[in-house]
Amino acid sequence: MSTEQNEHHLKESEIEDPQSDERLRLLAKDPKQMEILIGILFVVATIFFVVMMVVYVKGSQTQLEGGLMAAGFGCLGVGMVAWGKYLMPKGPFVEERHQLASSKEEQDAFADVLLGRGKIAIARRSALGKLLSIALGVFGIFTLGPLLRSLGPNPDASLKKTAWKKGIRAVTINGRPITVNDIAVGGFMTVFPEGDEGSYSGQTLLIRAGSDNITTMSGRESWGPEGYLAYSKVCTHAGCPISLYQQETQQLLCPCHQSLFNVLTGAEPVFGPAPRPLPQLPLYIDSKGFLRAQGGFSYPIGPGYWEIGS
Amino acid sequence: MDWTIFLFIFIKLNNLKFIFSTALLLSLFIAVLAGFADSASNAASNSQSSTSQMPTSISHVSASTTTSMATSSTTSVKSVGTPTAKQSSVSVGPLLYQGSSVRATQSQINQGKVLFIENCSSCHGIDASGSVRAPNLVGLGPATIQFWVTTGRMPLSNPIIQPIRKPSRFNSSQTLDIVAYVSSLGPGGILIPNMNGVNSASISDGASLFALNCAGCHTITGAGDALASGAYAPSLHQATPTQVAEAIRTGPANMPRFNSGNISDAHLNDIVKYVTQGIQRPNNAGGWGLGGVGPVAEGFIGLLIGVGLLVLASLWIGERD
Amino acid sequence: MEKLTTKDLLKNLKPNKDNKLSPQERAANAGRWIDERLGAAKGGRTFFNKIFPDHWSFMLGEIALYSFVVLLVTGVFLSLYFDPSSTMLTYHGSYKPLDGTQVSAAYNSTLAISFNVRFGLLVRQMHHWGADIFLGAIAVHMCRIFFTGAFRKPREINWIVGVTLLILGIVNGFLGYSLPDDLISGTGLRIMFSVLESIPVVGTHLAFWLFGGNYPGNGVIIPRMYMLHILVIPAIIAGLVGAHLFMLVRQKHTQFPGKGRTEHNVVGTPMWPGFMFKTQGFLFLTVAVLALLGGLAQINPIWQYGQYFPYKVSYAVQPDWYMGWLDGALRIMPSWEISAFGYMIPNQFFPSILFPGIAFNIFIIWPFLEARMTKDRDIHNLLDRPRDRPKRTAVGTGALAFFFMLFFASSTDVLANYLSVSLNLVLWFFRIATYVVPIVVALVTYKICIELQLAGKNAGRRKRFNVVIRTEEGEYVAQKSPAREGDMDVLSEHGEIPLELNDRVSHVIRQSADSIGVESKKSKTTT
Repeated sequence: MSTEQNEHHLKESEIEDPQSDERLRLLAKDPKQMEILIGILFVVATIFFVVMMVVYVKGSQTQLEGGLMAAGFGCLGVGMVAWGKYLMPKGPFVEERHQLASSKEEQDAFADVLLGRGKIAIARRSALGKLLSIALGVFGIFTLGPLLRSLGPNPDASLKKTAWKKGIRAVTINGRPITVNDIAVGGFMTVFPEGDEGSYSGQTLLIRAGSDNITTMSGRESWGPEGYLAYSKVCTHAGCPISLYQQETQQLLCPCHQSLFNVLTGAEPVFGPAPRPLPQLPLYIDSKGFLRAQGGFSYPIGPGYWEIGS
Repeated sequence: MDWTIFLFIFIKLNNLKFIFSTALLLSLFIAVLAGFADSASNAASNSQSSTSQMPTSISHVSASTTTSMATSSTTSVKSVGTPTAKQSSVSVGPLLYQGSSVRATQSQINQGKVLFIENCSSCHGIDASGSVRAPNLVGLGPATIQFWVTTGRMPLSNPIIQPIRKPSRFNSSQTLDIVAYVSSLGPGGILIPNMNGVNSASISDGASLFALNCAGCHTITGAGDALASGAYAPSLHQATPTQVAEAIRTGPANMPRFNSGNISDAHLNDIVKYVTQGIQRPNNAGGWGLGGVGPVAEGFIGLLIGVGLLVLASLWIGERD
Repeated sequence: MEKLTTKDLLKNLKPNKDNKLSPQERAANAGRWIDERLGAAKGGRTFFNKIFPDHWSFMLGEIALYSFVVLLVTGVFLSLYFDPSSTMLTYHGSYKPLDGTQVSAAYNSTLAISFNVRFGLLVRQMHHWGADIFLGAIAVHMCRIFFTGAFRKPREINWIVGVTLLILGIVNGFLGYSLPDDLISGTGLRIMFSVLESIPVVGTHLAFWLFGGNYPGNGVIIPRMYMLHILVIPAIIAGLVGAHLFMLVRQKHTQFPGKGRTEHNVVGTPMWPGFMFKTQGFLFLTVAVLALLGGLAQINPIWQYGQYFPYKVSYAVQPDWYMGWLDGALRIMPSWEISAFGYMIPNQFFPSILFPGIAFNIFIIWPFLEARMTKDRDIHNLLDRPRDRPKRTAVGTGALAFFFMLFFASSTDVLANYLSVSLNLVLWFFRIATYVVPIVVALVTYKICIELQLAGKNAGRRKRFNVVIRTEEGEYVAQKSPAREGDMDVLSEHGEIPLELNDRVSHVIRQSADSIGVESKKSKTTT
């Protein structure tokens, strides 16, 4: 590359004749006019800010304030940029780049300092260094172990347990027990185990998919009395609550990642990322017509995790 | 295979959404060519057939039917008689309204029959007992019939996956005539809900019930969204109070049915109030509502307008060589 | 008007016999006072002389910088009114549809900021838009750095700092929009629990510790996220931004090749005053754009969403855009998971932990990866034009296309609804297109780069077109038109390529070429 271009440094001494140096010219053809223009912008910005202040004091209005603030800062911004762009020497100016890396001697000298003095400091007292490391190591273990551990409990059976047990009634969010006539065929409701209303793990979709007993898969012959089917509302993919029941196609759709489950076949996933069926809750209808659980869910609820099978 | 979907896309292509549509269409062909069967929709149609045995299920027009229905393309409905004509008639017909002893009159039934034969019978049959193309309507009740007609979803000129809302072909008294006629053919079904309690209902209870029961499909802003297997949850922004209540009670198409054991009449009024006052008149205190579809629209605006404007600004501030 | 140079200034600043000091004298005295204690003059002068290249693409990083400034200022404002607590209380504020319902203190105070604090909604929305634009600007800036090769030696460390800033920005954005405890953000938080839970061996421990127990935890998550969001992560970001800029000054800017620009200089505008004024103006413009969006475009209207409860959900739930690609990855993941010996690597681990882990690691090691592949370990201060590095450019556009596809995949439901297409088909489209489109984009980019390189050699020259001639026998024959100067395949100014025309038709070609004016302009009768 030619060095001829590099002769212009941004050193004052080198700008010999400010009158003739092209680079000191302004970009604006008519600087006076530009100055006036910028001045007007600043005045207008002031007006915008004053109006904004009035709006604020009079009781605040988001759109007006936002618009006025945007207009005000817009004027300021355009003015400032124009000032910097049109009323300053247009350049271009050149700056030399210096080698970043230090010279070999400097590097060596630094290494000498580091290693030479370091040897004296450390090498002769390696035992001290080790003891120091041990002390700090123990503290490190403390911070990463017990300290972190105290943030919350360790994972426990709560991951697998819900409040559903044999004989527990299904109730609404307000605690009203569900009877057999409460839900129309083609209807559904979010229910909870009685006494655990509003809980994350107990939330269950109670679907009336028909009027006769429904067997979703072999071994579950008694689980769906009078067309009632109950599935955990927690998606087995990422844990979102599923509340999209398509009654004609008998599907459940998860709103988060669109996993699709077939209600009539034990909520097995038919589409999307969910890898496991929604756990089914075995139901029975007691003599008074209340819907009750025969027991807990068929499988741990919710998304997968490392210890889920253990 | 839902081939009518393609037809549907082409219709939609005429709208302004051509860029995404074209990209999507291309890839649909790739998907089909690659032999990926739409397993879920197959599963859907299987389960559909198994549920169609249920007595009250309104199984809509099968999507695989490509024959266009022979509906009268003109909307020239002979407006026979005026509402005043009914006043002299004797109340002999079925009950239409919940909590009211008003019955349909014979003249309503007669006029409804004329309208039904002209507009509906080609698919549903003169006695509304259904055909291969359309379901039986007898015994569904006034609310169901009124919902489908007032939302303009019926009559339907082309059988598609899920009818879309459009302006109704009939005025309200004509609709009532049809409702009266179909309801006179057989007992049962759900009466048109009474909306008198809406004014005194609780909008905040409605909001809470909406989030629990409705937002899952219709979205929390009521904008609606696509469901599986070509179905969708429609936007609620045009629904009238009666239509909202009818939809909740009758469960049109894929929508679940909520009877009074599930959502009480008082709660129904709460939801109706929230939909027609909270959702249809959203408080967009922050400015332009962006269609109420949340972070997707916000992302586009932020990147296109926000970053876009600032990149334009930097184009002005900087040089372009 | 006389120009006042520094020399003149200093001359004028000699001790004045009058007691009254002029403003310049006072300024000089103040400056001297500082210099005598800190020695700032020398360094300050070097700093003010620093040259900034004028090319517009060097301003992109500043969008991010100034959005960050706005985020800090608006964030301080919001922290004055926000109450990071999960304590439930009954809402009796000015938003009537929620009157009398149970809300958390966090949600309650966010509603108060939106409806009762003057300026509150504007600032809240500016803060949220600011986050979207902060990360958008980082992404655009990163593309500029990548495609021009600005990350090469000696700037690898700064590239890594930049990628770290991107990651921290994404994390802090997520934490921030999760704070109001509304229906949509709560759902996002639940997904985050599932994602943490999916990490093999330690996952459930991490999730339990962070949330203070099994989901939804015991109410500690919002205060914890708040502390991270307003203190820890912003402090790290601010520190790294400082390091980013320090390295920039130390290493000096890169620049595009051009007249007078070499590996050993920087050409442009000095820091003071030209650049300082322009960049100050740019800060104002950033504030203006954010105020415009914050005032006029509604973002995250949490009052419409309502309080989060773990059993309530809304459809069309998406994260903010910068998390969208992860959500998209979760959606298009096939329903696989690995289960053996009673342990499981669950489905969500692959798209939400493994994939971003790999992606960010590739970002971080890219400078070294490229140096190893190209065996180019020299210092580079001059930038590449993207077309001159077709392979890198192709990799970059392919990766961009991949992330864009994932981003779009996070709105499968919205797209399906908008286009009235089956949701299942849209998902299948993304399952395939997410992998096909990037490959196609990369190949096309490569081809375009090569073409552009060739075009560079033929700049300003025409393609020679063909003439189709119908012979007397009725036969159609296509021939190249007679060569003219300026055609791409005409080698020199005078040396025409010999025309290899069939004798039988050559004269016809010449005739018709003349008659239709081929020499002067292209005609539609020729193809």
